[in-house]
Amino acid sequence: MKTNSANSQSVNSTVGGALRPPRTPIRHWLGLLPFFVFSGLFLIGPTLILAYRSFEGLDGGLTLNNYRQLASDTVMNSYGMSIKISLTTAILGGLIGFLVAWVVSMGGLPPRFRLITTTFSGVAANFAGVPLASAFVFTLGRVGLITALFKVFGVNLYKSGFSLYSFLGLTLVYLYFQIPLMVLTILPALDGLKREWREAAENLGATQIQYWRYVALPVLTPSILGTMILLFGNSFGAHATAYALTGGLFDLATLLIGRQISGDVLHNPGLGYAVAMGMVMIMASSIFIYSILQRRSERWLK
Amino acid sequence: MSYLSISHVTKQFGDTVVVDDFNLEIEKGEFVSFLGPSGCGKTTTLRMVAGFEIPTSGKILLDGADITDKAPNQRNVGMIFQSYALFPNMTVAQNIGFGLRVRKESKEMISQRVDEMISLINLEKHATKYPYQLSGGQQQRVSLARALAIHPQVLLLDEPLSALDAKIRVSLRAEIRAIQKKLGITAIFVTHDQEEALSISDRIVVMNSGLMEQVGTPFEIYNFPTTVFSANFVGSLNNASAEVVDPALSLISIDGVQFESAVDLKERKKGDKVRVAIRPERLSFAAEQEKANVVDATIENITFLGSVVRIRVKIGDTNFNMDTFNNPFLELPKIGDKSQVTCSKEAVLVLDD
Amino acid sequence: MVSLYFLIPLAATFYWSLRGAKDVLGFEAYRKLFADTNFLPAFSQSIVNAVATIFLSLIIVVPTAYWVTLRLPKLRPVVEFITLLPFVIPAVVLVFGIIRLYSSPPFLFTATYNSSRIVLICVYVCLSFPYMFRSVDNGLRAIDVRTLTEAAQSLGANWVTILFRVIFPNLRVALLSGALLTFAIVIGELTIALYMAQHTLGPYMSDLTRSKVYEPSAMAIVAFAITWAAMGIIDFVGRGATRHVQMVEAD
Repeated sequence: MKTNSANSQSVNSTVGGALRPPRTPIRHWLGLLPFFVFSGLFLIGPTLILAYRSFEGLDGGLTLNNYRQLASDTVMNSYGMSIKISLTTAILGGLIGFLVAWVVSMGGLPPRFRLITTTFSGVAANFAGVPLASAFVFTLGRVGLITALFKVFGVNLYKSGFSLYSFLGLTLVYLYFQIPLMVLTILPALDGLKREWREAAENLGATQIQYWRYVALPVLTPSILGTMILLFGNSFGAHATAYALTGGLFDLATLLIGRQISGDVLHNPGLGYAVAMGMVMIMASSIFIYSILQRRSERWLK
Repeated sequence: MSYLSISHVTKQFGDTVVVDDFNLEIEKGEFVSFLGPSGCGKTTTLRMVAGFEIPTSGKILLDGADITDKAPNQRNVGMIFQSYALFPNMTVAQNIGFGLRVRKESKEMISQRVDEMISLINLEKHATKYPYQLSGGQQQRVSLARALAIHPQVLLLDEPLSALDAKIRVSLRAEIRAIQKKLGITAIFVTHDQEEALSISDRIVVMNSGLMEQVGTPFEIYNFPTTVFSANFVGSLNNASAEVVDPALSLISIDGVQFESAVDLKERKKGDKVRVAIRPERLSFAAEQEKANVVDATIENITFLGSVVRIRVKIGDTNFNMDTFNNPFLELPKIGDKSQVTCSKEAVLVLDD
Repeated sequence: MVSLYFLIPLAATFYWSLRGAKDVLGFEAYRKLFADTNFLPAFSQSIVNAVATIFLSLIIVVPTAYWVTLRLPKLRPVVEFITLLPFVIPAVVLVFGIIRLYSSPPFLFTATYNSSRIVLICVYVCLSFPYMFRSVDNGLRAIDVRTLTEAAQSLGANWVTILFRVIFPNLRVALLSGALLTFAIVIGELTIALYMAQHTLGPYMSDLTRSKVYEPSAMAIVAFAITWAAMGIIDFVGRGATRHVQMVEAD
């Protein structure tokens, strides 16, 4: 009598090689029902409605016009600024975060440093939003502490063109949660660098630099790139911090969508939905690329 | 002048002495094993030769040159790790060629040498594969080729077989030994598996808690252990405490039963307490003519182990294991039988307690 | 040495913002904050929302993780994909969709403040899925849930008993970790609450920055302290048991 062990049908489960009487599939699905209902209602549903409406023309019929209008100035400015900030914070945050993670994991510092850094990073990454924005206003705003400090040395930051409410300012603020995110995500990868690799390389005659150039960096590159892309997505979709900082009036894709929610500032509801969907697509591709790179690096670091 | 000289090397971590006054002279082309349990200092000593640890005191000389403080990447020794340590982002060929690439050799030279190494380890078909696509045994062979590619003066192997399946372990250790002999390269092999050490070494260093217990050929270590630890660690044996009866005649007594030993006991006094060890395979049932060391014994237990039959006998108050080759036509005694058992006086090892 | 170089800017920012908070009025700012008539309602609303979210989320996620692991492993990729959705759909886009979907018949859920609030909580539950699910999943893996279940079954327990008597208690650490993360997220959430006209802590803080000068700084410190406390508890509790991977989000 043939007993089957591994099951590919969800219905029959086997224990110890013997075939159990098939359970009612309904019971299993019921267990998962709440989850699907919730996500359907509150995650997938809203997105679908936006997607559907984005194809709606002003007259009510289906059209691709809205997506064509994405190239218009207002939209492009916001998207452009979002991309600019996201790219900058992704790359800068990635590099700085990597260096911090590297020092903390392999710099020969006492283990206490690592614990402090990880805890702080966890907090900082979650700090985003209003508290972060106000903290920076107090530091670098028009009457902020550091601004005042600079004034003492005769440098007027704001007169020389600096403003917290600009590309530079936002970048600075965003870095506060981008760097910790990078640190937290890349630390496991750095831990995965086996000590024996460095020793084997040294044993074969390589210097530290050669080791990093030929072994460590190539192995880490998928992780680093992947995380930078994650950072990009993270920054692109960020709303609360920018809103708190600028009152929602800055030229940013997320803020644009926010304004659209409060009122039809684009004079074309369909376009608003298209903008939203555009953002979703960008976020989706960034997460997608990130997970591919993650899988690649996991294969090597195992 | 020996090729590799490790003299009075000690390694201390804080207050803990991990390696205590290690002394060894190794000839060129010799295969030496460091054998011992975990934490005995064998790996640390190996790493000091490799340069990953610096001795607290002592000197290491390679072919006359003092390498004690040299950086690991300037020593020209090849190391094989237990976890293979192959670079995951490089193919087999690139891994093997890494040492040469770092030395900035020409492309043709590298490619030629890599081909040489790959055929040495019989992995021609896998030259472009990545480590994660290879089995453990294959990875270790690549690791071996990688270390040999740079023409090292010494080959250092840190428990290279411990992570592999039993069958692969046996075939790979023979392969390693064959390659070592063929190339005539000096090698140090660290292991905790005594069968491994016995089967492939020219000499074995038995280590325990940072100290060298004994140095000798496999034959010497097995048959003539000089310390209790060596005797216990290598092979199995019967262990009993005994008393010296007559130092001049080398007579000792275990629970009142007298044995003659071939070990010189003139230094000792009558009544001294000593440790006596007898290998199970050296005990046998006494035939009619036997004169030396014939004692009465009671059969306690019989265990069939396949090629060997292990018989537990009681001599005096002590239990001894007696191993005899399986012979389907030999009639074995039954439990409870009384019989006579003998062993040669050379088999009676007297060790320091 | 290099680390100091990098830690100092971050530490300095923090330090200065602290200084900025204490400013001239010292603790006066804190007192004014807590005395503000709008503060307590907003604060308590957020707390209640958070607790409700955690509760609902636990009830949904734990059975889900359990069932996916044991009975329907084929659905795992689907479930994991869904838990990734909050990262793919930014908050502002999500609330956009929520409003458009539920502001008109036949799905009119946003007619009253309270019904909107319920929608809000449900959205928060979905937002907590990534963290909750990952925590619980790791926890289940660590306790080898399959073997435990089979042992319980062989002793005659039904699935309700198994869930509540066997699984839940062993997942305490994972549940705590997920709950605290969810708490931190809900408390400070701004985007969705704002556009759904809810008077929770997020919008309150935002208003505060526009109207008052010193209180926002006190508020920022309080928020920071709460977040730090939550993270600290997670770290502390998590150290003894399973390790949790924390993925963090900007908003």
